Amino acid sequence: MLFHLIKKDFLIVKKYVLIVLVAAILIPPVMRWRTPEFAGTFGFILSVIFSVFMLLQYVSLKEYQFPKATTLLCATPFSRSMMVLSKYIFCIAIYVACCIIFGIETLLIPGLGTSGIALFILMFFVTSVFIGIYLPIQYKLGYEKTKFAFAVIIVASPFILPMLMRMDTANLDFLASIPAYFVYSGVLVGGFIILVLSSMLSIKIYNETDLA
Amino acid sequence: MDDILKVTGLNKSYDNFSLKDVSFTLPEGCITGFIGVNGAGKTTTLRSILGLTSRISGHINFFGMDIEKDARKIKDRIGVVLDDGCFYDELSLAEMKDVIASAYSAWSERDFKEYMERFELSPKQKINTLSKGMKMKYALALALSHNAELLIMDEPTSGLDPLIRGQLLTILTDYMSNGGKGVFFSTHITSDLDKIADMLILIDNGRIVFQEEKDTLLDSYRIVKGDMRKMDENIRKLFLRISETAYGFTGITQRVSEVQQYIPDIIIERPTIEDIMLGNIEGGKE
Repeated sequence: MLFHLIKKDFLIVKKYVLIVLVAAILIPPVMRWRTPEFAGTFGFILSVIFSVFMLLQYVSLKEYQFPKATTLLCATPFSRSMMVLSKYIFCIAIYVACCIIFGIETLLIPGLGTSGIALFILMFFVTSVFIGIYLPIQYKLGYEKTKFAFAVIIVASPFILPMLMRMDTANLDFLASIPAYFVYSGVLVGGFIILVLSSMLSIKIYNETDLA
Repeated sequence: MDDILKVTGLNKSYDNFSLKDVSFTLPEGCITGFIGVNGAGKTTTLRSILGLTSRISGHINFFGMDIEKDARKIKDRIGVVLDDGCFYDELSLAEMKDVIASAYSAWSERDFKEYMERFELSPKQKINTLSKGMKMKYALALALSHNAELLIMDEPTSGLDPLIRGQLLTILTDYMSNGGKGVFFSTHITSDLDKIADMLILIDNGRIVFQEEKDTLLDSYRIVKGDMRKMDENIRKLFLRISETAYGFTGITQRVSEVQQYIPDIIIERPTIEDIMLGNIEGGKE
């Protein structure tokens, strides 16, 4: 059942899937070509964030355009929990697709660096934080308000980021003394915990929502 | 007869509207019409019993099971048709069907194909190319292809032409004769119910006004026409609703014999469901 809900999300944005797929493929090599100093890791990070964010936005837009379709699905044996979980898995599926694409690219294109498990784990954590924050807010505020709130954050980011970079950051030197295996396991588990907590919150919010 | 749906003390509140202590039952083997004017609370009631909107209080039992505890089992046994536009319009009929079908444990591909052929719908067609009537038929094909025991529909005939409305009513009659245990549908087009309903529930301003068998209901009311000169305040009180002109009056009453005692030369006619509905709602009594 869950598989069909995830498939449904891809189907309703099928027009954009190809575009995003092409972008996910092109971002790392284009970055290597235009800005070699940011090639590799940054290209991968950008391709994941772009792909997940764009497709999630398109799915949300379609559900905003056809709210009664979601209502009909909730009138079938699909539970609201399933509806919410399918969104999280949809995002993780895009992340996995980006990992596969980047993995293949690093084998084919010299100069993109290597795609190790450490990079994928780090990106999993970043993706978890992103959807872990974004989805509960969207379930609470709805598509329009969330889009507006995130647009404000994006516009404000040139001002906020330098401020954050000037602030004293936590001393993470102690991580060097811990075996890498434990650090990466911790990051991976942390990502999962964020997803679990976020999905529980989203389910709670969505269960209390009056559908259109 | 067993009750396939029992709603008790349902309360739900919005800023400017509320359902007040809504209670009713749906007996097995009946087509039940849920009638009321626009804004009376029909859709809110249906959505509340399906768990699509939250409620302040109330108990909802389908087939003897509580919707809170057994929502999935219950929804597996009911077919739902919501009002217009309940699909992702850019999907094809086959794609939307695949999503819906995966939710039901007893989905019958054969039944679905039969309905699609009967309704002359192509699986490859995009939903946004369907007319309103075709969308309704497609919604019915989805709702009836998993051996549903109860069919719940929200304003299914609204905006449809008389031909398609007639076809819809035939499908409902066929569904019941093929072993369906019940149909519950809301409408403000009461002429459809004159043809097929067994039971009627009237809601007005968020309250249930009556639940009655259609034939009993139609037998207990009469339309009375008479000479205005013989009308007085005492006789007027015998009517639920009365309209007057310089020449005569037309009213609906449950006390026809008493009216006849006061005015012997009246014309008595059988009412329609619409007459009874208007006679029992607040705005209709003016």
